[in-house]
Amino acid sequence: MDAFGQLSDEIQHLVAEFSSAPVVGDLTVGLTQYSFWLLVAAAVFCILIFVFLKRQTLVPHGMFVNGVEYIIEYVENDVAKGVVGTNWKKHFPFLATVFFFILVNNFIGLIPGMKPGTGAIGCTAALALCSFVYFIYYGCKKHGFFGYWKSLAPAGVAFPMNVFVWVIEVFSLLLRPITLAIRLFCNMFAGHIVMGSFSIMAALFAEPMLEQATAATVAGALPSIAWLLILLIIYAVELIVAFVQAYVFTVLSAVYIQIAEADSH
Amino acid sequence: MGVIGYGLGVIGAGIAIGLAAFGATSAMARQPEIQGRAFTVFILASAFTEALGLIGFVVTLIS
Repeated sequence: MDAFGQLSDEIQHLVAEFSSAPVVGDLTVGLTQYSFWLLVAAAVFCILIFVFLKRQTLVPHGMFVNGVEYIIEYVENDVAKGVVGTNWKKHFPFLATVFFFILVNNFIGLIPGMKPGTGAIGCTAALALCSFVYFIYYGCKKHGFFGYWKSLAPAGVAFPMNVFVWVIEVFSLLLRPITLAIRLFCNMFAGHIVMGSFSIMAALFAEPMLEQATAATVAGALPSIAWLLILLIIYAVELIVAFVQAYVFTVLSAVYIQIAEADSH
Repeated sequence: MGVIGYGLGVIGAGIAIGLAAFGATSAMARQPEIQGRAFTVFILASAFTEALGLIGFVVTLIS
């Protein structure tokens, strides 16, 4: 098949298109396509929340207000109350901000022609670093600076094992932001690559038919219906993934906060 | 060659996600009242394992 031969070439183009390129300025000072859509998402998020605040009444009316309230309550009950526990009120603003920021970014990226702000490793690394600094700060606040680092090792373990466990715990602590960043980035990046390659397949098979419509080219274009169907299914999966990744990031941040603030291991 | 590497890498993630689904469905069958909680845990676990598979995919494409 001719179409399969062109595919690997096209996919190279697709992957090259996903690397950060400056649209304004250059790479040191300026906007890449990802940071541009990140700003767009942040603006959309602010507008949504302000409209929500404006239209909020004692008894919520309408689909928009009820929908936003439902998601906020979901974060509150499922993440803040369920994972963090008793002092959930202190951490709820941070968790809700992270959740909504990632959610809006992921959904902005799903609109064709737009890019997800979270599809660049720099953005997700910054988000993960925020969460890392946040839980270490609250751990230090709860136990004291040296107390927090000492509390990483479980109490009541004999001397040589104690040090060994402490080293492993510190190592896993340092791995947390890395795994947070890479998980979100890989999900966004890979999802968009897969969607892109299926739309390329659909276009490649249909191309001969658009140039000249004979019986042979029309028959050759039939597989592109299947590719389009698969593309639709993957798009639906990506809608779920966009939500689940925001949820996973928030839940993991909540788990780390809960561990940092726990009294003893 | 990169495609073969991704195929090898995804075996582990496939087994893991199957085990997670198995555990979740049998837990729900034995105790239907735990359904909501079990589903949340299942989504979390599959997100972890899915990330492993995707790391293989992305590394294959980038390198």
